Amino acid sequence: MDPLLAINDLYVGFRVFEGHLRVLNGVWLDVREGERVGLVGETGCGKTTTVKSILRVLPTPPARITGGRILYHGKDILKMTRRQTAMLRRHELTAIFQDPLQSLNPVFTIGTQLRDIVKDSAIGRGHRLSRRQIESRCLEALRVTGMPDPERIMTNYPAQLSGGMRQRVCIAEALSTNARLMLADEPTTNLDVTIQDQILRKLDELVEQQGVSVVMITHSMGVVRDLTQRVNIMYAGTIVESGPTRVLLESPMHPYTQGLMASVPKLTGEGISEGIPGRIPNYLDPPSGCRFHPRCEHRMEICETSAPPFYEPDEGHRVACYLYRGTP
Amino acid sequence: MTQPPILAVERLVKHFPTKSGLVRAVDDITFDVSTGDTLGLVGESGSGKTTTAQCVLGIYPPTSGQILFEGRPIGVAFNRREKELKRKIRIVFQDPGSSLNPKRTIKQILSVPLQVHGIGLARERLALMSRLLEMVELPPTEYLYKYPQAIGGGEKQMVAIARALATNPRFIVLDEPTSALDVSVQGKIINLLLRLGNELELTYLFITHDLSLMRNVATRVAIMYLGKLCEIARTQEFFRTPLHPYTKMLLSSIPVVTDEEESLKPAKIVSKGEIPSPVNVPSGCSFHLRCPERMPICLESDPEMRVLDTGHLIRCHLYSP
Repeated sequence: MDPLLAINDLYVGFRVFEGHLRVLNGVWLDVREGERVGLVGETGCGKTTTVKSILRVLPTPPARITGGRILYHGKDILKMTRRQTAMLRRHELTAIFQDPLQSLNPVFTIGTQLRDIVKDSAIGRGHRLSRRQIESRCLEALRVTGMPDPERIMTNYPAQLSGGMRQRVCIAEALSTNARLMLADEPTTNLDVTIQDQILRKLDELVEQQGVSVVMITHSMGVVRDLTQRVNIMYAGTIVESGPTRVLLESPMHPYTQGLMASVPKLTGEGISEGIPGRIPNYLDPPSGCRFHPRCEHRMEICETSAPPFYEPDEGHRVACYLYRGTP
Repeated sequence: MTQPPILAVERLVKHFPTKSGLVRAVDDITFDVSTGDTLGLVGESGSGKTTTAQCVLGIYPPTSGQILFEGRPIGVAFNRREKELKRKIRIVFQDPGSSLNPKRTIKQILSVPLQVHGIGLARERLALMSRLLEMVELPPTEYLYKYPQAIGGGEKQMVAIARALATNPRFIVLDEPTSALDVSVQGKIINLLLRLGNELELTYLFITHDLSLMRNVATRVAIMYLGKLCEIARTQEFFRTPLHPYTKMLLSSIPVVTDEEESLKPAKIVSKGEIPSPVNVPSGCSFHLRCPERMPICLESDPEMRVLDTGHLIRCHLYSP
């Protein structure tokens, strides 16, 4: 079956005063219909750039997409006209961002914003809703996110709600468009654990009901474990490992993933590893070959000269590292 | 406990009068920290952890109650504290990006506490600063003349730690020192703090919202909710038998990465509701709105802190005699 979304070898750079930042360096990502995929990486590894490229909301310039394809239902998003991408964003894709205060307009009430979305997405599908229909759909959308008293929330401004409530509003907005693919960019990073737990559980339930595919972007291994079926680990603009979530977390293969897993503090209380020495490279002058090689303890000569291709030591578990050269 | 506590907080209250009413940020809390211990103060945002720390530091004078440091009361504002006290109690803030002056070099940043406290002669200070940087594992020749913006987040936090150590303190308040950092960097900072704590016999008050981190760092853990402490216990005991329903809710909400950890979490308690505003504190036990084990008495009276046989402190009607 063709994947719903396929990113093939995507290269994105930014033109800045000092030169050219080569951020995304060959990103590969597949999302099948109804599947939930995680994209995990540290600050500055290009997670958000990837999402913005999919949505075509990267400001160009300074950004430049220098290579690769993003196929949605087999059609290349990068070759679409402005009008086509706008339609795509309106009906097919939806996004939840990290900071709901920035994605909600502070000067309009929740009701105004939600009604617009419900109305426009219905118009796009070719039917016009009566005012009463719009109202009831908005209330329903808020109610399913577990919001108490949706009638009151509709008249509130974003500033009157707590962080968790705002994020619920964003989820309600995202789901009320009946989109096929949801891009969730760190939706719970700003929230407390108990609220995070509630939001993620709700999201999980709603996504399940509506059969939406999800790309979950996060830096928390725990969150992807609970929510996704497959996970992709990203480092410095490249996908270094991808596989079924449980398998990958249980037995990580790439030295970076191993380092990352060892640094996560665990409830078993066995102490914390020293972490990974060094830091994420400067994109003005990224390391040659494998971008992880300056920090890698298993560095070999070949790592400095050429970027490793994907090897697949286990069915469905792929890793971009020369350590696994012998395997298929 | 054989050693006397280095810090004892007794019935500390800090209220802020605002236009919308009295904010009960910290409402009658009592705890102590023994020399050499690391007390993990854990709670959600708005629970009053930072206000507690700021009272200890003297950034706010307490509304009522006492703070004893090495047996002497220190509950006065910062500008009325003696220098010696300021030398002994230091802080590392959450975001090194905003706690380090971007227009000063690291040398200038580190020289401030040395000058203020008159540590070393002027000509010895360069050597002292180099030693401080070595303590936090940054090569001095490389870092002394750099600006904060030229180094990574983890390194900035190490400079902030070096600055805290400059006055040879006894007690350091760590206010979420790693929550702005990535996990791969966090490990390094935490291990550094633990090593320095051992070598220099420091006592830490570690404020965080990350319970899994506390499992690995703290010797005792205190849970705070809406300006009050719910539960305090030694780390081992705390994670083996969490008692307070709020603690159980917190623990079962943590996303974990292995099956082994999953088995350590208490049976799934579905978290509900949000932390109420500290302006309108609910009657009785402030947690009763979200508590899965609410009883009629919880609506009426606020439970008292009790000590169980195991040394476990708990404030909940479920454990009343």
